[in-house]
Amino acid sequence: MQAPDPVEAILARLMPPALSQGAHFDIEAMIDELAGPEAENVVRISGKAGMKRWLVGSGIAAAIGVLCALLPMVDRSSEPKVASNLPHQSAPGLVLVSESDRVESMTEEGWQDDSEGVAMQTLRMNLVGENRLRDEASGMVVQISEPREEILLMPISTF
Amino acid sequence: MSTPANEWKQWLAENGPRLLLFARGWSNNRADAEDLVQEAILRMWHHQADKGGSPPDLPLVFSTIRFCGLNHHRSESRRRKREESVIYLNDFQDVWLDPVLEEDEEAILLRDAVQNLSQKLREVVVMKFWGGLTFLQISETLAISPNTAASRYRYALEQLTHELRRIKEDRHASA
Repeated sequence: MQAPDPVEAILARLMPPALSQGAHFDIEAMIDELAGPEAENVVRISGKAGMKRWLVGSGIAAAIGVLCALLPMVDRSSEPKVASNLPHQSAPGLVLVSESDRVESMTEEGWQDDSEGVAMQTLRMNLVGENRLRDEASGMVVQISEPREEILLMPISTF
Repeated sequence: MSTPANEWKQWLAENGPRLLLFARGWSNNRADAEDLVQEAILRMWHHQADKGGSPPDLPLVFSTIRFCGLNHHRSESRRRKREESVIYLNDFQDVWLDPVLEEDEEAILLRDAVQNLSQKLREVVVMKFWGGLTFLQISETLAISPNTAASRYRYALEQLTHELRRIKEDRHASA
């Protein structure tokens, strides 16, 4: 077995500090909040009228899909959405449960100059925006996914 | 009873420090890094919902923290210089790593050297050493080859060795 580098031996004497109590508490509270409605929905969906609810949910999903397809392609700027304010009511009988962006893949594509001749690092990202909506009548949760590609230019500060 | 929330809390307790350390490389201070960790966990929760709701693998979380950090970097780049000057004044005790033993001068010197590594090298060291990731996992997180990940790690260790020797020689000369 290879002997550890002497520097690694010193690195082993350093440990990352824990999250602050405030941050830890905030994240745990967020987890509780996220877990709460989910558990409630699982109970509702498993009722006897499952087939009927599945049909209602499928209908809602299809309607929302058509609606999304008909909507104009709004705001296709390269700004990914980081934070969002969830509206209470997205459509009659539908409540927006969550809204998120997640990164599917990220590829570094080397350097390129921007319009002012400044060297920038290029990152190509495949993202998926996801909205989860709950039908208040049936308790069904419908998820709408919208994949997109963005190119991020980041100034190079060190060489 | 083991609920998803409890599983995630236990996962957070185990991995919180290493996530925070990685997030430090993408933040100006500790508070921002903690916000970055929280944002990444929120994204991970939704991502894992389709996969049974269990806590995610570390490489994916590192990747998400990096992505969130890039977002913040871009949206706040115009204010960066002003913020950095403020942080410099208020950041006296805001360190990334703690020595296991008090008064471990060598470890403290190396801590500063780790913080001063370039971002490319530092994130490989953090993921490999404190994150416990393999070079293959690191390569997937950073979209580089495993050989490049290993090379960066070795180069970082060389730089740290050189820096540690230089500081010691400087001190010896001035003593």
